[in-house]
This record gives sequence, C-alpha cells and structure tokens, in this order.
Amino acid sequence: MDLISIILWPLKWAVELLLVGWHWVLGVAGMDPAAGLTWVLSIVGLVLVVRAALIPIFVKQIKNQRRMLEVAPQLKKIQEKYKGKKDQFSREAMSRETMELYKKTGTNPLSSCLPLLLQMPIFFALFSVLNDAQHGKSGVGPLNETLAKQFGDASLFGVAPLHSSFASQWTLMIAGQPFDAAVMVIAAIMVILMTASQFITQLQIVSKNMSPETKASPMFKQQRIMLYLLPLVFAFSGVAFPLGVMFYWLTSNVWTMVQQFIVIRNMPTPGSEAAKAREERLARKGKLIATDGTVIVVDEEAAKKTQRQQPISKNRAKKQIKPGEQK
Amino acid sequence: MNRFLATILLVPRNIAVLLLRGYRAVISPLYGDVCRYYPSCSHYALTAVQDRGVIVGGALAVRRLVRCHPWAEGGIDDVPLKRVQRYRVNAFGFVVAGQGKG
Repeated sequence: MDLISIILWPLKWAVELLLVGWHWVLGVAGMDPAAGLTWVLSIVGLVLVVRAALIPIFVKQIKNQRRMLEVAPQLKKIQEKYKGKKDQFSREAMSRETMELYKKTGTNPLSSCLPLLLQMPIFFALFSVLNDAQHGKSGVGPLNETLAKQFGDASLFGVAPLHSSFASQWTLMIAGQPFDAAVMVIAAIMVILMTASQFITQLQIVSKNMSPETKASPMFKQQRIMLYLLPLVFAFSGVAFPLGVMFYWLTSNVWTMVQQFIVIRNMPTPGSEAAKAREERLARKGKLIATDGTVIVVDEEAAKKTQRQQPISKNRAKKQIKPGEQK
Repeated sequence: MNRFLATILLVPRNIAVLLLRGYRAVISPLYGDVCRYYPSCSHYALTAVQDRGVIVGGALAVRRLVRCHPWAEGGIDDVPLKRVQRYRVNAFGFVVAGQGKG
C-alpha cells in the first residue's frame, strides 16, 4: 500500500460504512436493494451525515460573524489607515493588524481550511470506492464484493451507471464502440446544476449578506474571481469523475445553498442588506427587540406619508419654532 | 566550489518552493480567504521551507496545519526566526546561495 491509500484507508472505511448503512436502512424500509435509486439515496444519506457533522463548525463561524459588529469601528479604522496603499508591505501590515484585532477581541470570522480539507478526502474516498466497484472489486471494509458490484452497476434515473463518467463514454464513442449517451447528457446537466447552485449561493452572500466593510476589503475581489473560476472546475471534474461522485458533490452543493438561505434569513451578518430586511420583517410583526430590551414597532402610517415636505427658508423655520420649544 | 555544493544542497527545498508557489497560485484562490492565522498556512509553509529546508520546514508546516482548525485562537503566527541566515531568497522565492537578508 502506498502512502495515500494508507491515509485514505480509514476514510474509505467510514464512507463505505455510511453507504452500506444507508443502503441497509433503505432496504429495511422496503426499497429494492439492487435498484439504482436505493444507491443514489444512499449517497444522499452520506452527504446528509457529512454535512450535518460540519454544522457545529458552521454555527461557530456564524456566531463569530455576528460579533463582527462590535469590532466594525476598529476594523474600519484600520481600513482607513491603509486606504489607497496598494503596495505589498502596506497590505501585509494591514492583514497583520486585522488579524491581531480578531485575536484580541476573539472575533475571527474565518473558519480555517479544515472544513474544506475534511471534505476532500471523503471525496477521494468515494471516488476510489466507486472506481473499485466499477471493476467489481470489494471495498476495504463493510462494502463486500456483492454490494460493491451492485453499487457500481446501480444507475442514476435507471439509465446511467454511477461508476461511469463522461470521459469513459467519450473514449468509447471515439473508438466507435457502443456507448451510453445518457451518461454524457446527465453529466452535462449535473455540471450546469452545480454551477447554478454555486452561483446562487455566492450571489446570495454577495448581494445580501455582506457588510459594507467586507465589500471594501481586498478579500472580496478574490472571492469574485472564485465565482468565475469554479464553473471551470466543475466542468473539468464533470468530465473526469464518475456520476456517483458528481452526485455527491451536487447534493453537497444544494445543501450549502439551502443552509446559506436559512442563515441569511435568520442570522444575517450585522450591517448587511439581509440584516436590514430581517429587522423590517420583525418590526412589522412587532417582534423586533432593541438592545435596551424594548420592542420596536414600525408605524406603517408614518412610512406611507406621501405628501412632500415643503422646503422652508432658514428665517421661516426659525419663526415656526415656538418660543416654548426652544432649548 | 562551496557555492556549487550549496546550490545542489538547496535543490530539494527549491522543488518544494516551486510546488508551494504553484499551490498558492492555483489552488489557494479557490478557497478564498479562510485561514485563521496570519500568515496563512501555505505562506507559513513557504517561509518555513525557505528558511529551514524540506524536513524541518515541512515539520513546522505540518505542525501549523494541525494547529489551524475552527476552534483555534488564530492571530499572528510567524515562522520562528533563524538566528543565522545562510542563504538568500530571490524574487520568485527560490533559495539561492549567498549571504543576505532572508
């Protein structure tokens, strides 16, 4: 065994356990164990478990983001200090000061790359499980030979085997051998869906859930680049990866999108568009609690005032103030 | 002669530098800004490898990666400075023989 497979071994084992576990549960629930749908739903189950396990990390990140409001004035001060200074040393000094502020106040909004890194081996593990299953090889643990063969032969929507990829069918087509067009069509559709879900997720964040401070930061630009780079990554992997792996990724993307939607609606970043929208929504229902504990109610009548306030000259304005009101 | 020997000795760490530069140019941007530390883990690894070589620098980088998780405090965490700077780092980041600032 080489180094990578030694590292992947426990993960492969866990992935197999989860897949077989879900497959067993679905079988008990009355689904046909050999049917493609059962295995596809097992992949969905795998996603659910993995993403649910990552929820605590996400919640922590959100909590930190809410505390960002407290340090916003200090953060702004740092940004003002380095405004217009684009050279490397100023940028570095700015990053240093920002990081120091985060640490001092315990408000680091970044979550480290662990949540991302954690998903990658799972991805590779699933990839190799599917790859082995394709050749009817049994897995390293709970996935025995019969199950592996069943898994590899299981098909998405009853037409496209989970183990096949766009590239494998393309090779067959070029060689003039019989190939499965459905696999290619489904792979293409999945790439489009993944790109769409990624765009929606990012767009939600950028248009609704970003404070003006973040939008002014250089990190923001980098995130924009990512938005246009990811479809390329999806397209590339959509060609090379087996449908089962793509399906895992797609489901995971959809989870992110929904999670983001819920968070933006209920726990928006302070100072962002979404936060204002939420305050308005709560105020309309009479549920907005101010920092001093009182309930703020928006007077809808006052908001609907349509008559224009006539401008008045300084002299008239002075005359209008009654002596009793003057301070 | 001494210089020649140093250049050969520096080959492994320069291969590592090249790999890290590649990672930072291609893969890092995909993540966006996520690191809880400054400098980021990959930047730390680059500096560590430049200063200490593949084995010690690599070990430092691994230690940092292990420390960097969502519950870590984060903050500024530089590579421990070496007392004697034996080599020079050129504009690309390759380590070359010759005295100079690190």
